Formats: sequence, structure tokens, C-alpha cells
Amino acid sequence: MNKISKLFILIITLVIGICNVYAEDKNLVNIYLFHSNTCPHCKEEIKLLDELEKKYNNIKIYKYEISDKTNSEHLNKVADMYNIAINGTPFTVIGDKYFKGFSKDNAKSKFIATIEYYSDNGYNDRVGLYIGNIPLPTYEVNENNISIDEYISDRTNYKISILGKKIELKSLTLPIIAILIGLVDGFNPCAMWVLLFLISVLIGMKDKKRMWILGITFLLTSAFIYLLFMLAWLNAATLLLTINWFRLIIGLIAIFGAIINLRSYLRHRKDNGCDVIDDKKRSKIFNKIKKITHEKNFLLAIFGAMALAISVNIIELACSAGLPVMFVEILSMNNLNIIEYIIYIVLYMLFFLLDDLIVFFIAMRTMELTGFSTKYGKISKLIGGLLLLAIGILLIFKPEWLMFNF
Amino acid sequence: MKIIKISAIWCPGCLVMKKIWKNICNDYPDLNIEELDYDMDNEEVNKYNPGKVLPVIIILDDNNHELIRLIGEQSEIIIRNNIDKYR
Repeated sequence: MNKISKLFILIITLVIGICNVYAEDKNLVNIYLFHSNTCPHCKEEIKLLDELEKKYNNIKIYKYEISDKTNSEHLNKVADMYNIAINGTPFTVIGDKYFKGFSKDNAKSKFIATIEYYSDNGYNDRVGLYIGNIPLPTYEVNENNISIDEYISDRTNYKISILGKKIELKSLTLPIIAILIGLVDGFNPCAMWVLLFLISVLIGMKDKKRMWILGITFLLTSAFIYLLFMLAWLNAATLLLTINWFRLIIGLIAIFGAIINLRSYLRHRKDNGCDVIDDKKRSKIFNKIKKITHEKNFLLAIFGAMALAISVNIIELACSAGLPVMFVEILSMNNLNIIEYIIYIVLYMLFFLLDDLIVFFIAMRTMELTGFSTKYGKISKLIGGLLLLAIGILLIFKPEWLMFNF
Repeated sequence: MKIIKISAIWCPGCLVMKKIWKNICNDYPDLNIEELDYDMDNEEVNKYNPGKVLPVIIILDDNNHELIRLIGEQSEIIIRNNIDKYR
């Protein structure tokens, strides 16, 4: 054997040796799972954890079934330690991180990020210390320049670079989605016809100042009702988020809405006209509008415009609820804080109102309506239908895509 | 020949056609056009059984027999062609 091959073997052995040392030297990561035999999500999580235990040889999983008295006492103690209320299983603790419940869609990436972070850095295994008889992690706890939360968010969110700034893909996709769905929803013909109705009557009025105030009151009240509806739905959606079949139902509703929209598009694709809606409803609204514009008392007329906006929007909700409901559903899946929720909903509203506002201002300035063909309503039905279809399919089969964890 | 126009103030398709009709009326000043509002001239409108899509344009002959019915938003050319055909 010549010198070169000897050297080569030496290097190989050293490298393998270093690798081995490195693998053994990774910090121990203990994962504590509190589960119940009766909960289906626990079974899913156990499956995932077993998979991870095979993949990472430095992790150890401890499972505690909580119908056992000692185990449920452990769980209560852990809740006290982290100063939180635990209202169900599964409940998972890794170091300072705890995970309530289990969602197949984003748990895996979060678990992996947490494991990786603690594998490289020291941490206090508070639960292990409390339970006792458990080998504890050996790395010294150091102040790290990047916190565990930052690390997890880095690993689970996609980022792109814009003008040298790193921006989370999530923070970019949500505004785009808000604008897109808002715009399409705004062109919905049912949202438009009452406005036209009102404009036509207002144009006939002599008092121009009064005309503007009544029209704007109507638009603002409409926006407000829409906002209330979306917030209420958001509340319900976040409450029901953990229930899997709820998402399934919403997905099915979206597909149903898509079919209605697309069918109506295909049926009226050739004839561009206005669909006459329910005669009773129309004459009721018509009479209300006439009353408002003929009302001598200005204050009463304003109240009338508000009342009209409220009643009309409640009718409209049934006609165009599909898109706002889906939008709120996407928001609720993305775990935002309340201010972010409101910002996105307001953004949606702005673009939802944009076309109404444009039509309103042009009509009021020029005193006539031209170039506003029914074609746009038809196209909105086509795009709206396709959007609903896509969202429905994703909700059922790939909900994590709607959370932008690809 | 007589033309019946059924429209409604809430119908953007009808509003869009206002300009087209203005042009046509300029070119054919002797046209006999009856304008009906779907909501206000209820009785008259029902006589023609307009259906659920607006606007509706009906061309009648001198004996009030229906010659043709155009449903929905129409282009200026189609209306002109029909007027020329039945005049």
C-alpha cells in the first residue's frame, strides 16, 4: 500500500469518526405527549412522533395517557408550570415550547424546527426535571442570538427578497388574496344593482348636496354591515377551526357555490342582460328608495338610506356570501392576531367597494351611466366560480396550501 | 312599425343602451318607440310577457303583431339591422 492510499484511508476514518462523534454529540431532545385513548387527533400525532423518533436518533418521546391518575396530575402540574389552561388532548411539550391540539397540516414542520433548534442548542427540560427519572439534555443553556420562536417562524414560513428586504411569503400572499377576492366579489351583479337603483333615483334629485350625502351614507353603511358580518364569521370560524369536518363542510359549500356561479355563467354567457330578481323584493326596495328621496326631513332621509343599506345587504349576503366566507376562512386558518385580521378585512372591503365607488362617482359627476355593461357581471361570475372551486378543493384536500405552508 | 322597449332603472344593461338609442333616434327621427319601465308600467309590461332578462326590445308591425324580440344587451349594429329589415 502506498503512502497516498494510507493517507486516504486515514482521512476517511477521521471523517467518519468526526461524523459519528457529531451524531452522538447532538443534544438530547425530550418530547412529552399527553394523550387520551379516545381522541383521534392523538393517534395521528403518535404516528407522526414515532416517525420522527426513527428519523432523529437524539430524540426521546414520552407518552402519558391521561385517564391514568398520575399522568393527569402531571398534566395539571405542567399547565401550572407554563401558566396556561389546558382544555384537551393532545398536548405536547418540547422544552419551552408547548403545542395545544394537533393539526396534521402544520404540526410536522413546527415539531421538526423545534427538534432541530434544541438539537443544536441547550434548553431547560422543565417537564423532565419535574417528572424525574428521565435522562436530561446535556448542552449548556446559552443565550442564543436567534430565539426558538424566530427559528420556528423562519423554518416554517417561506420568504422572498424584495428590494433587499426579506419578506415572509405569507405576509405577501394574504394581501394579494384579499385584493383579488375583494375585487371579484365587488363586481358581483347582485351587489351592484341596488346601487344603480339608488343612483338612478338620486340623479333625478335637484338638491345635489343631498344627493351626495345620501349616496355616501348608503355606501358606508353597506360597508359597515359587511364588516360586521365578516368579523362575526371570523369569530365562528376560529372557534370551529379545530374541528376537521367543519373545514370539509365549508369546502363543500365553496364547491356548491362554484357550481351555481359557473352554471349561471354558462347559461347566460351568450345573452348579455340583467336578470330580473324576485318581484316582491324588488318592489319593496323600490318603494323604500322612493320614500327616502321624497322624504322632506333630511335626517329621516339619512336614516332611511341607512335602513335601506342594512336590509339590502342582508339580502345580498345570501347572494354573495360565498367569497367573503371563504376569505374569512383562509384568514382564520392563518393564525393572525386581531389587528392583522382587521387590516386584511378592511383591505378586502376597500377593493370590494372600489368598483361601487367608481361607478357611483362617475355617475354622480356625469349624471349618466355609460360603459357599464353587464359583461363585467358575467365575467365576475366566471372568475368567482373558478376561485370558489379552487378554494373548495384546497380546503378539502390541501388545506396547508391555504396556510401557505407548501 | 312600432318598437317596444322594456327596461328598468336598476339594470346596467339598459343604462348602457341609452346612448345607443340616442344615436339611433338621431338617425331615424320618425321611429315610433314606446318606452316601458319594468317596475312602473307593470300592467303594460305584463302584456308583452317580457321574461326574466332585461332589456327587451320588441318590434311590432302595424297590426301589432310581433315581428322580432331582442332580449338582453344588444349592439348598435344588431338594432340598426333589425330596424332596416322591418321598416
